[in-house]
Amino acid sequence: MKEAGDNEIFSIKNRLLRLKRDSNRWSLITLFVVLLIALPVLTIIFELFEGPGESWVHIVKNLLAQYVSNSVYLLIVCSILVLLFGVTTSWLVSRYEFPFRKQLEWLLILPLAIPSYIVAYAYAGAFDYGGSLELIQRYFGMEFTRIDIMNRFGLAFVLSISLFPYVYVSTRAFFLNQANNLLEASRMLGVGEFRTFFKLILPLARPAIIAGMILVLMEVLNDYGAAQYFGVHTFTTGIFRSWFSLEEPETAIYLSALLLVLVFALILFEKWQRRKIQYSNERTNTERIYRKTTSKRKQFFIFCIVITPVLFGFFIPVAQLIYWAVLTYSSVFDYSFLMLSLQTFGIAFLTATVTVVLATLLIFSAKWNRIGFIKNLSRLGVLGYAIPGAVVAIGVMIPTLALDRWLMDVYASISGNTTGFIIHGTLFALVYAYAVRFLAVAYNPIESTTLKVSNSIPDASKTLGVGNFKTFFKIEYPLIKTGMLSAFILVFVDVLKELPLTLILKPFQVNTLAVRAFEYASDERVMEAAIPSLFIIFTAAIPVIFLNKLLVRK
Amino acid sequence: MKNIVLVLLVLSLFSCKNQTQKGDVLNVYTHRHYESDQELFKLFEEKTGIKVNVINASADELIQKMSLEGRNSPADVLITVDAGRLHRAKTSDLLQPISSKILDSIVPAHLKDKDNQWFAVTKRARVIAYAKDRVNPEELSTFEALTDEKWHNKLVIRSSGNIYNQSLLASIIANHGEEYAKEWVAGIVKNMARTPRGNDRDQVKAVAAGEGDLAIVNTYYIGLMENSSNPEEVQVTQSIGLFFPNQETTGTHINVSGAGVAKYAPNKENAIKFLEFLVSEEAQSVFALSNYEYPINNNVEVSETLKRWGDFREDTMNLSLLGENNKNAVILFDEGGWR
Repeated sequence: MKEAGDNEIFSIKNRLLRLKRDSNRWSLITLFVVLLIALPVLTIIFELFEGPGESWVHIVKNLLAQYVSNSVYLLIVCSILVLLFGVTTSWLVSRYEFPFRKQLEWLLILPLAIPSYIVAYAYAGAFDYGGSLELIQRYFGMEFTRIDIMNRFGLAFVLSISLFPYVYVSTRAFFLNQANNLLEASRMLGVGEFRTFFKLILPLARPAIIAGMILVLMEVLNDYGAAQYFGVHTFTTGIFRSWFSLEEPETAIYLSALLLVLVFALILFEKWQRRKIQYSNERTNTERIYRKTTSKRKQFFIFCIVITPVLFGFFIPVAQLIYWAVLTYSSVFDYSFLMLSLQTFGIAFLTATVTVVLATLLIFSAKWNRIGFIKNLSRLGVLGYAIPGAVVAIGVMIPTLALDRWLMDVYASISGNTTGFIIHGTLFALVYAYAVRFLAVAYNPIESTTLKVSNSIPDASKTLGVGNFKTFFKIEYPLIKTGMLSAFILVFVDVLKELPLTLILKPFQVNTLAVRAFEYASDERVMEAAIPSLFIIFTAAIPVIFLNKLLVRK
Repeated sequence: MKNIVLVLLVLSLFSCKNQTQKGDVLNVYTHRHYESDQELFKLFEEKTGIKVNVINASADELIQKMSLEGRNSPADVLITVDAGRLHRAKTSDLLQPISSKILDSIVPAHLKDKDNQWFAVTKRARVIAYAKDRVNPEELSTFEALTDEKWHNKLVIRSSGNIYNQSLLASIIANHGEEYAKEWVAGIVKNMARTPRGNDRDQVKAVAAGEGDLAIVNTYYIGLMENSSNPEEVQVTQSIGLFFPNQETTGTHINVSGAGVAKYAPNKENAIKFLEFLVSEEAQSVFALSNYEYPINNNVEVSETLKRWGDFREDTMNLSLLGENNKNAVILFDEGGWR
């Protein structure tokens, strides 16, 4: 007995000693960044202990089943559609040579440039009575056959068609860089193209597919605008309903927590699925995939498959928007619009920079620190993406306001004067909230490129007495630069499209294109929303095209 | 290096600070984002020299923001597009009572808060839009009568998440009690031609296309459609008639845009001046002529569109009641399966 006790004490002491030995400033920096990012999330979780409001019973009885079934339905249908659109196209453009392949490669990313609620408006408008479809059919003297898109499946379609590029991008990066040796080996063993794809390539591409898919599914869970307009009740519309219509923020927070559980369940399920599989690829400099040329007929067939999602995800909604823009531009477009675009661009640029720096800092400080649990903790940084923008905004407001009150007291006691808010209501708070929300978007591409860099070179550098920072800039940075840039662009585009968080936290006199588009749309002037929407699309399209160049460049 | 320069450039773009909170300024938190309002802000600036700062967001978010900001909130004036949310702002202790002779003389009693914490600035009526070729308007009478069996599968209306539906049900609760309201919801749900979706404009289009015969909609949106830049929409409105219900009973249900002075307004004087300006004939005619809303100041001439619709008797129930019954209304909607 005594021995055992001694052992225990010894082991705790031992552990503490080890902790002390292993801790370095990187542990502290990791902890700091994680806390900074997790603070709003923790605030929300802390609010949970207040319990739900009295309407909770009502929600459980009358609404929860609907929320769960609709959200799960969307998750499943969107997963299937996104796989179909994203993986098929990325494989075809990576593996085959066909007309317009180069153009289609970047066109396939463009649906990302359109906020999904705007795609929803465009489709609803196109298929509406007196909408474009009817006009076209009338022009050809056809009977009007109405396609009803404002339902659950329509919503899943709209979300998938505007979000599938996340899967396309991550999967294609894998196909381009990793698939060649697999294909070669498979061919040498005499396995056919079809079987190689399904038995070898697809299973190995799973981490890449899943990485894109998780982003898509979180966006799906987060969507408010499209679901609200289509009349589909989901968790997120439920959050808004209990917060605003039932006037119970605490119930809304409770629902968000449930949503969070759903997201964790998704992530854990995926982890469990691949628990025994190890993915590794020792060769960092693999050869580019070798493209196959096929018969003209097959090429045409492939072309048709690949262009379909581009058509539905980009050209049709954009055409609808352009039509509306032509009808309304005289009342909407003016000089202030250009300033608005510039401002939006600036905010997105600033946010993307901050977020990428934070994500890189988090990844590398976690790597350089030597305490195991802090390494795991660093993954907490990506939580913000799972929480609806409006809830993140509240999570940011509560602590920043508390800090502000304290700062104002300090200021008052020193100078005797009072001052306004120092952080709250400034660009700082807004950018902070964006960073919390979008850290996951930056984290994933940077992390995946970092994982590909083998540790031996940086280790060698450090053995030779070069510091962490210098090693990073001399060795790791050039290797992960593409990952950082794609992270930058993804965050940039996301900020351009972001709505609920911006609405709550934007400073006086600051406005964004998304907010302007929403103002029109919420006033049922969807047509007038076309011009700001087109501005968002074109501002976002430029970096998106650039992103493609980056991914393709050797 | 190039990147650093770029970042600096961008940063310098945003060196604007939050300095505009005190002095000769007015900070407005508003749900309204119409050209008419921009025009009025400008007009107010020109007349008084007071600089107007605006935050646009949904009223719900603004209320949340104000209550988190507490006594340090820079907000002077809160403007919403429905009475329910003004009432909520009041019960959350975010507004203050205002005594102003001008406001008292112009704003009718039922269009303002009992304790003078908020005042209506414009009105919108909720009406029945019917298909001219299929419905004889003499068959129509009240919102209550829409539960009649003869309208089975004939009615289109938007989701219960919409505040105008919530306010309509709140008025029915206030007029007839909860039991009746519950039956009314059940009756309407039974008569729906489709599950609720889309906005008010979509309901009108559905009637024009024959998906239903009747739609419950807001006059404001009909005004927008009649004057739309899309010829298809204008055409839609030509097959639609407007019926102002409940003329023989309570009067047609109305909702308002309204404004209140924030409890901790740093520029209270300016805020009162602004409210008085909003109900002045000058400002009211801007609303009435450009935004298809009814003015609350009766001395003001209205636009051609409103004239064409004609006069109607409005429900003079105090609009605070809409706010008091809003939550109950939402619960009744959910229980009755009105999506």
